[in-house]
Amino acid sequence: MADESKPFFPVEKAHHVKPPPPRRPRLNTQESRFWRCFRHSELASGLILPVTALEFSPVAPFHLAAACSAAVHLYDGGASPSLAPLPHSPLSGFSDVAYSPSFRCDGSLLAAGGESGIVQVFRLDKAGPPLRRLSAHARPVRFVRYPRLEDKLHVFSGGDDALLVYWDVPSETQLITFPGAHRDYIRAGSPSPTSPEVMATGSYDHSIKIWDVRVPSSSNAILSFSHGDPVESVLFLPSGGLLATAGGNVVKIWDVIGGGRLIHTMEGHNKTVSALSLGRVGNASTALGGGEPRLLSVSIDGYMKSFDFAAFKITHSMRYPAQLLSIGFSPSGNSRVVGTSNGVIYMGMKKKLLQEEKGTGSASVFDGYAPEPKKQVLKPTNYRYFHRGQTEKPRETDYPIKRAPKVKLAEHDKLLKKFRHREALVSVLSKKDPTSTVAVMEELVIRKKLLKCVANLDVDELGLLLRFLHKYATMPRYARFLMNLANKVIEMRPEDIQSNKHLSKHVGSLRRRVAEEIMIQRSLQEIQGMISPFLIIAGR
Amino acid sequence: MITGGQRFVASPPAFSQDGKKLLVCTGCTVSIYSVSTGMQITELEGGHTDRVTSVVVVPVGAPSSKFMSYCWTSSLDGTICYWDFASAELIKKVKIQFPVHSMVIPSLSTIGSTEEGSNLYAFLSVEDINKPASEKKALHGQVRIYNLKNQKPVGGLLTETRNPEILYASKNGEFLGISNKRKLHIWRIPANNFRFDEIKKIKLHHTKKLTCLAFHSTLRMVAGGDDTGRILIWYNFGREKFAQNLQNLKGTKNPSDEAKPGVRNNDDVDSCTTWHWHPSEVKFLHFSSDGAYLYSGGNEGVIVVWQIDTGKKKFKPRLGSPLLYFTESPDPSLSCVSCSDNHIHLLKMPTMDISKSISGIKPPFSFPLKHEGSCTQVAFEQTTGLVAVSTEDYCVQFYSLFDNHEVSEVQVCKRNFQPADDVMLYVALVAISLDGSLMATIDVTIPEEKLGGLVCLKYWTRGSLVAEYLLSTVIYEPHSDAQVSSLAFRPGHNMAVTSSYGGDFKVWVHGSHAGRNNESMQRTGWRCQSVGSYKGKPLTAAVFSADGSILAIAAETMITLWDPDSNILVAMIGDTLSPITKLSFVGKSEYLVSYTHSLKPQLSVWSTSNLALYWSHGIVTEAVSCSHDESQFAVLALLSSPGDADAKGNGVIFFFHVEDPVPVATWTVTKAKGGSLAFLPANPSLHESSATNGVNQLLLVFMNGKHEYTIFNPHKEENIISKNSRKSQAAQDEAERLGYTSIYGDLSNSNAKHNHFQEVPFAPSERPWETIFSGSSHALPPLTKLCTSFFESLLEKRLENSNEMIIDADL
Repeated sequence: MADESKPFFPVEKAHHVKPPPPRRPRLNTQESRFWRCFRHSELASGLILPVTALEFSPVAPFHLAAACSAAVHLYDGGASPSLAPLPHSPLSGFSDVAYSPSFRCDGSLLAAGGESGIVQVFRLDKAGPPLRRLSAHARPVRFVRYPRLEDKLHVFSGGDDALLVYWDVPSETQLITFPGAHRDYIRAGSPSPTSPEVMATGSYDHSIKIWDVRVPSSSNAILSFSHGDPVESVLFLPSGGLLATAGGNVVKIWDVIGGGRLIHTMEGHNKTVSALSLGRVGNASTALGGGEPRLLSVSIDGYMKSFDFAAFKITHSMRYPAQLLSIGFSPSGNSRVVGTSNGVIYMGMKKKLLQEEKGTGSASVFDGYAPEPKKQVLKPTNYRYFHRGQTEKPRETDYPIKRAPKVKLAEHDKLLKKFRHREALVSVLSKKDPTSTVAVMEELVIRKKLLKCVANLDVDELGLLLRFLHKYATMPRYARFLMNLANKVIEMRPEDIQSNKHLSKHVGSLRRRVAEEIMIQRSLQEIQGMISPFLIIAGR
Repeated sequence: MITGGQRFVASPPAFSQDGKKLLVCTGCTVSIYSVSTGMQITELEGGHTDRVTSVVVVPVGAPSSKFMSYCWTSSLDGTICYWDFASAELIKKVKIQFPVHSMVIPSLSTIGSTEEGSNLYAFLSVEDINKPASEKKALHGQVRIYNLKNQKPVGGLLTETRNPEILYASKNGEFLGISNKRKLHIWRIPANNFRFDEIKKIKLHHTKKLTCLAFHSTLRMVAGGDDTGRILIWYNFGREKFAQNLQNLKGTKNPSDEAKPGVRNNDDVDSCTTWHWHPSEVKFLHFSSDGAYLYSGGNEGVIVVWQIDTGKKKFKPRLGSPLLYFTESPDPSLSCVSCSDNHIHLLKMPTMDISKSISGIKPPFSFPLKHEGSCTQVAFEQTTGLVAVSTEDYCVQFYSLFDNHEVSEVQVCKRNFQPADDVMLYVALVAISLDGSLMATIDVTIPEEKLGGLVCLKYWTRGSLVAEYLLSTVIYEPHSDAQVSSLAFRPGHNMAVTSSYGGDFKVWVHGSHAGRNNESMQRTGWRCQSVGSYKGKPLTAAVFSADGSILAIAAETMITLWDPDSNILVAMIGDTLSPITKLSFVGKSEYLVSYTHSLKPQLSVWSTSNLALYWSHGIVTEAVSCSHDESQFAVLALLSSPGDADAKGNGVIFFFHVEDPVPVATWTVTKAKGGSLAFLPANPSLHESSATNGVNQLLLVFMNGKHEYTIFNPHKEENIISKNSRKSQAAQDEAERLGYTSIYGDLSNSNAKHNHFQEVPFAPSERPWETIFSGSSHALPPLTKLCTSFFESLLEKRLENSNEMIIDADL
């Protein structure tokens, strides 16, 4: 049963009711703790040009490809404190701006589109000219994708000429073309994670279409639905049954198997959502599929949001000081990168790198058991022995009883509680916060002790009081009270003020302040006198 | 007729022997409250005709008498009554002839003394009414002994004091004490059947006036508190005088040779120590039942717990008002403290958390003199029958008139209350809109030598519960530094008016306006719609008409009528002799009633249709209330002029029909000074019968200057509204019986021989089977242990049954 006696009211709250503080997001969730364990740094490409795409290689050590201006920069995903450029980076075989790098499923080749309309395929183990140049598009190619599953021979590409092509890379031939696949620029697409033949594309004509290369090319897309805004990014979710599309300032989740049914609309962003990526949250090694999957989205408004598509809830959001165009999340879970419109790549590296447990994992499969590290038993000779169990967290079944929150009192409140009025006044005067100072003074008035306090102040403390008065006495909010107080103080302590040079200086400046205020009041009255005839005339 | 608002803290309460009931003296009756719910169970009435001054519960001696719940009460009407408080029956009445101010029955404390044959001696502190009251120096107080068995006084006077003092007895009944000016008188009372001359007495001296004392529960130790806040503890008092065996004493060396630290006047004690924490008078002292702690309290509203061996202190602060009494229950985990704001807090003992509060209506407090005119302490909420009382600790208390208990409390100023001599901050005005959805309060800070005065207008909106109000708008200095004279809501609109002595009135409306920045939500609040004044005169009263179409404002002697929407002066009426104190529209009629409060008192009825005085009386009016629908009003008039210093405060309630200057009915009342009146609709839940008649009955409530109130029907000569319809409210938690109890109760009742014992109330017995078998099976103690406790409970029940038979045989 709660104690029904009255709470202690600190003096501040008595007057000047403040609005409640704005609601702050709770920073203590597991999710936010996960996002906070990244160390932040910047990767500068050296150019103030937008980073249009960021792509992580699907195999270890998870290299990163970033498309920026007329080059694709490659970074070593295995580099320890932060990503480092690979020796043959950047890939420069582009005559114009490079777009949409895409790794092959084994990570050894990279295809990229470009402003010139040519899709080029590079090898990643050493520098050199492009292996293949696939030219069919007449306009810039903004969308190039390898199928995600074990298909090493084909590539999808879509361009601003609304043409979608399914390439056979070795022979540089177009297996299937879909002319007029969309009625506007094709800017986004995603290969299905379950089938190498299926591809989703999104276009500026607001529509998302799903294509299957096994059906005859004469027929149209197997599925088509409208996002409602120009589509900037399309992403299949890991199951292959759900599709996330970004366009305008919303992200929509669609049920592809159910015939393109809209499942959820996420409206967390204020400006156009520019890119989507998959991430995994949790401290288990994400390379092994640990952690919870999240949909990461970045927007022109500078926010990166983490969306839990199992619970349809935004679980975290992070702000960057620039417009964000692209995002990548390393499959190892060690790093995440966002690309901005001014050429900066913001990188977060995990402070404690997740161990590549592949070796030990396979060993444990062979051995049948994993050797557990031996735990040292605490002995009474150890200092920590006496602190054991103090940091124990409650289990789920435990019912925690909260300790009554400790009331934090300001020093003047503590002194007022002890009826040490002069000390309370001095302590709040030295804090230099006018609101609480006036509140303490009003409390002293209610206790009929203010004048006694003023009479008892010594010279230094009187100096504090006079300084406060000269600073705030003419502030309209406190003037009615403080001007009277200033009068009283000068009446009560004339000898001290005359004998001390500092005090008389304060009084002098107080006098100047008051004279100024009188001038202001006079001119305001003049203005009022001038205006009031007009107002009366206007009122008629 | 319903009465209520009695003072719960006029005398110390007492716990029943099982610690589940609390007996509280409420005026002429004793109310019994349940400790677990804090609600009233029953009331002992019909025995006393004046204030009950003390309650002594007869303790349970042998376990056989566990059902017994008897108590003795003493009263100022000179009687002592013996009650069965479980069934609220008066058993015996003893006449004393003198007003009894305090009674203790020490021999009750010794277990088993209630048996036959032994005499029952009550020690009474009575007032000698034979001596004239004008003799200031005469000794009015007497301590007498009375044998309650044969109803005869025993011996002469024990002592005489200037005023009747409160008696204190030690826990084992061996010692009795009073504080008399700067001395403590302590008597040692022999065991049963003593002669009067066996009683011995010692005196302990101090240099200050002693206010209270307490005996240690086991040791020969007595503590006394004085009016400067000091607590003195005398160790081992009366070693010479109270020694049982004189020979033994002579064998020891003379103790006067020893050093007696701290002892004055060579008193008969070993030593005396002094503790000082309280800044003012100590109101109560109480030794804990284990004797390790001493509780003390006083004006500053803090219970101090002293560890007796070390003198270390623990505190229970912020109880909100001066403390009066501390009572410990037989249950060591429960005690209660009575506060002077008419609250009794039940404390969970080691932690001293308040588990429940028995809260009466808070008493009035004194306003600073020069501000008295502009204060109303009481506002009535018509729809639900609540009264809002502004209290000393900056709250507004909502009190249900029909149910006679507190509903809620709204903290107006967030400030810690410290009892002080002069009020510097107070809630001056409270107004509640007709439907109860809005409340406005004005709190005033009195300046310290013209420095820092503040008037603050606060608007509140009702929350989800009845009488739960949330702060909506705060307006500092609504009329710059002028005092606000009145505050009224417009019926049917979100509009209010304040008038000030500074000569202007403001009409406030509730509206929504966009916040300063677009991001913030739309904010709603009260703002000033219009300002008006009349010839710069101080405006003394303001009121809206019943339909809200007219605003009447009194500008000293003139009444001005305004259109509240357009703020246009419509008309002016008449001229009184002196400034008008209050205005009120009479129902929906065209008449306006006003009264003035100065040296030329006048009650006037004005007609707004022909703008003239209709009729008037020259009576000193204290309050006026108009019924909302009908053209009737009631006036509370004082029988003495306001200048009279020694006004007794008797008054008359006149019930007028507005057409007729001759009152329809009159009633005389006491303590009318500071009283108030209001019409209330009959509470339909309580009075179905009147509702079925189809007559919309209005009841009149009169609240006197001490916040005691009476509700009656002004239309009927006979007051037929039965009292205590509220009894149904009491939660009979003891009544519920479950499981085996019900079975066993049925068994005993089915016995035809004991049929008439159905009235015998069952003390709630422990029901171990409710708890011992609950829980998961692996956590249960072994079955053998459970079985014993289970069977023990059954055995106990059997014993109780046999007890009934014994009682039956006795009768």
